[in-house]
Amino acid sequence: MRGSRWPWYLLALVAAVWVLLPIYLLAINAVGGVDTINAWPKSLLPTETSLETLAFFFSVRGVWKAVANSVLVAALTMVLAIAIGAPAGYALARFAFPGKDAFRLVILLTRAFPMVVLALPLTVRFIQLGIYDTPLAVALVHTALALPFAVLVSASLFMGIPRELEEAAWTLGCTRFQAFRKVTWPLARPGIAATMIFAFVVSWNEVFAASILTLRERTLTAFLLTSLNESPLHFRFAGGLFLVVPALVFIFAVRRHLFAMWGIASR
Amino acid sequence: MAGIRCVDITKRFGGFLALERVALAVDDREFVVLLGPSGCGKTTLLRIIAGLERQDAGEVWIGERRVDGLAPRARGIAMVFQNYAVFPHMTVFENIAFGLRMRRVPEEEVRRTVAWAAELLHIESQLDKYTGQLSGGQRQRVAVARALAVRPEVLLMDEPLSNLDALLRLEMRAELKRILAESRTTTLYVTHDQVEAMSLADRIAVMEQGRIVQYDTPLEIYRNPATVFVGSFIGSPPMNFLEAVREAPGRYRVDRLVLAGPAEAPARLLCGIRPEDLAPTEATAALVGRVVVVEPLGSHQLVSVEGEGFRLRAALASDRPIRPGETLRLAPRHDRVRWFDPESGQRLTP
Repeated sequence: MRGSRWPWYLLALVAAVWVLLPIYLLAINAVGGVDTINAWPKSLLPTETSLETLAFFFSVRGVWKAVANSVLVAALTMVLAIAIGAPAGYALARFAFPGKDAFRLVILLTRAFPMVVLALPLTVRFIQLGIYDTPLAVALVHTALALPFAVLVSASLFMGIPRELEEAAWTLGCTRFQAFRKVTWPLARPGIAATMIFAFVVSWNEVFAASILTLRERTLTAFLLTSLNESPLHFRFAGGLFLVVPALVFIFAVRRHLFAMWGIASR
Repeated sequence: MAGIRCVDITKRFGGFLALERVALAVDDREFVVLLGPSGCGKTTLLRIIAGLERQDAGEVWIGERRVDGLAPRARGIAMVFQNYAVFPHMTVFENIAFGLRMRRVPEEEVRRTVAWAAELLHIESQLDKYTGQLSGGQRQRVAVARALAVRPEVLLMDEPLSNLDALLRLEMRAELKRILAESRTTTLYVTHDQVEAMSLADRIAVMEQGRIVQYDTPLEIYRNPATVFVGSFIGSPPMNFLEAVREAPGRYRVDRLVLAGPAEAPARLLCGIRPEDLAPTEATAALVGRVVVVEPLGSHQLVSVEGEGFRLRAALASDRPIRPGETLRLAPRHDRVRWFDPESGQRLTP
């Protein structure tokens, strides 16, 4: 038994190093001060720690505004994705309607459209609507990206809550809506919260749509992308770290729910 | 308190006819069991009465009100589900109080009613626990207490014992009988377990393929099954059906036995005999066969016998040992023999 398990541990180790090593290098360079970055040969251990790099990063003009935009866009995405996705998921879980399976498939197909193809028409349409270069425009596109996930995950979430619980509530005096609010919603809440955070992270990390749909109202990813060429190395490291850490923390916080939703047994 | 009346209820699922013009009347304070194999439509009928499913045609009356257009909450019913459906995010107290609070009952009365229901179900000590901490049997009690707490006009139960293990099921069966006798609530109870039905019901409605084939007291259904299906579904082991050939008007031969049968009937009939209505005999006019299997059950022994052109099972007294391979002569109690039309399966009256 023991002998047959070590290849799995090795595989897990390789996967972990694959993911963690770049983050580690990013981190030591971001907090290591300017000298570390320019030093050669590279050291794998942090030689010095200094907040100089990070301080410089946040002192650059436009960074704080980009951070605020990113947070605003991600928050809007989170709210929109769940406001549209959860009801759709509930409908998929509870009702039989014609075209249900097709609907399930079409939801996934929205992810099959390359953003590059959609970029120009979207830009034109957003200019016509007068919302080009606003956080709302970016949030709408990010909602479209996060929606398939929100719909399918909340569908499986609601499917995991026995229909009989709601039916029992109906027979005990609830309307459909009351039954949902008093029984289904409290049980679904942790999973819904996880789904929202996931939508937040999808938006936080998205760069392409954000770059195309904004000029002055840059999100952090778009801001960093456009300023990569003219910015010093330590600025890029600091920006990279600041992008990665919130996403990692959020995903880590809700990992249990994500695993449960994806049907992977987790402890 | 009120009775239930279903008038010509029909329900289709796609092309499948789940219920076909079902009529059923349950009297006030009566305990009626809907009994049938899985897929016969019994749960569908219950859910239509509860308002969880909508019939294609027909009417549902509870008391003097026609309720088939009403939402479940307006029908004056309470329901106990097969998987209990107790709310996992609430304590036992909150579960039982749920229906009362929805009805905006004053909190003091809520407390009194919950205490009453909890005492009736013997779960007073569990009130502060979350239902996830309870065993299956305790959850079942919570579900019943929650249903009774709203003092429904009609209590609907969908296979409430089928998720319990055998021992607990026996215990809860007796408990349910006591509880429902004390609460005196009109009850419609769905099960596929004929022993449960026999032991609980005032009357049993036996269902087969979307129709009620017999609706009568347990003993009447046991003694006088309306069809071959009822005879073979109720009773364990089921009724024996043997081929009978007319010898003279009103006289039918079964193996080496000639019995008085219905006067006007086809030349070939099925003769139905319950296993316990057979006894060993010395007479030559008998059912003669070879013993294949003996199952000693203590109180009696079940003997499977193979004769010429028939097989049957007899429940015999266990005082005389019987061995496989020996030849056995059996005679039925003549007053307990029933006759059936082999084509339609219907019982024929002599």
